[in-house]
Amino acid sequence: MAFGQLLLIAGNAREGLVTSTARGATGVVSRPVSAVERSISGVLVGFVHLFRDLHADEAERTKLQHEVTRLSGELDRRATLDAENERLRRLLGMREDLVPRSIGASVVTLRLSDQSRVVIIDRGSSSGVRPDMAVVAWGGAVGRVVSVERDFARVRLLTDPGSGAAGVILRTGAAGMVVGRGGGPLDMVYVPKYNDVALGDRVVTSGVDGVFPRGFGVGRVSMVGEPVGASKTIHLEPEVDERSLEDVLVLLEPKGTTLLSGDEPASQP
Amino acid sequence: MIVAWAALAIALALVLDLGLGRFAPGATRFVDPLLLPLAAYALRRSQRSAMVVGCVSGLLQDYWTEPRLFGLNGLVKTILGWALGAFGARFDLNRVGGRFAAGASLHLVGVALDAGVRHLFGEVLVPVPAWVLIVRTVVGGLLTAGVLAIVGRVAAVRGPARVPRRRT
Repeated sequence: MAFGQLLLIAGNAREGLVTSTARGATGVVSRPVSAVERSISGVLVGFVHLFRDLHADEAERTKLQHEVTRLSGELDRRATLDAENERLRRLLGMREDLVPRSIGASVVTLRLSDQSRVVIIDRGSSSGVRPDMAVVAWGGAVGRVVSVERDFARVRLLTDPGSGAAGVILRTGAAGMVVGRGGGPLDMVYVPKYNDVALGDRVVTSGVDGVFPRGFGVGRVSMVGEPVGASKTIHLEPEVDERSLEDVLVLLEPKGTTLLSGDEPASQP
Repeated sequence: MIVAWAALAIALALVLDLGLGRFAPGATRFVDPLLLPLAAYALRRSQRSAMVVGCVSGLLQDYWTEPRLFGLNGLVKTILGWALGAFGARFDLNRVGGRFAAGASLHLVGVALDAGVRHLFGEVLVPVPAWVLIVRTVVGGLLTAGVLAIVGRVAAVRGPARVPRRRT
């Protein structure tokens, strides 16, 4: 039995027929259990929301109305800024389609152990999700899709020890590789030691990894390590709180991630 | 009938595991609900049944929550079932202290085995903080003792014909 499972694990590397068949069979067997869990969870969430709604007082409503008014003004301002941004982008000869096409997904469950940090989302190959697509949430980058079933997908979080993303410090432009360290802060490695890095600096995705488009928040610098060789390691406090993830966006195509090649004509202003 | 009860126990544990991941994702760092049916079958039934329960529950867990090595949890839990089944056959672990020790050991050794197999297959590992291991051990022991006490009560209510039999 144990030997069979060792072979099964070894088969993962080649995605062999036996492994995929075993995975498929396990999925068929356990899908009703997941459906039951989701039904129970749905009822529980419904009760929680009902309870919360009942206790939402008048002051909260007034506050929210003020907030809506403020955000409406903010949206108007953003619309002006977007137009200006587009104009400037054209001036710089960049592409217009920097905003990637995406679909929304809900988190089915999370697995946040020390050696493996995974999110299951309720969109799969039937919705166009494929491995290596980037997943983002309000606040920044979440992770990348590692495997896809018909109706759901597994997303490896940025904090998973096996994950990595190309990052850049927004203030100085210093580039590095952001890697997960389990439950703790993220590490940004291979940052040149002469680069200026300060506590609180914001790190965003740089786009050169071909998975995450540039500009998605990753974290803020919480510690700068001593230089080792030509580079130094810095610790980042993640921008996205994984524990409160509920809805995410799967970026269907990483537009804007590829750098313009020499023979590719830039769009004209 | 035995298979039906085992399937029900595994299904309940899986529901608990997925539910915990949804409502208290941090808790999955400290407790593995799918070790509970394994402990129950290792201490109340046979080594063989513990290995089968461990294998099935581990594979289900792999399907839902393991992104890279499908079969890892199945292997780890099969080994744990084999080990606890062997200990259960030689020592009396059906008292509160024994159940606590069994659950605590499962949760602790499970982490080590998980890390070992990952290392074997070239995975990147991070050190697990000592306090996480301590909390995991204590919570695992308490939960196992509690669940086995409930199972014992249910078995007692259902009559002496259902008194657990031991096989090695």
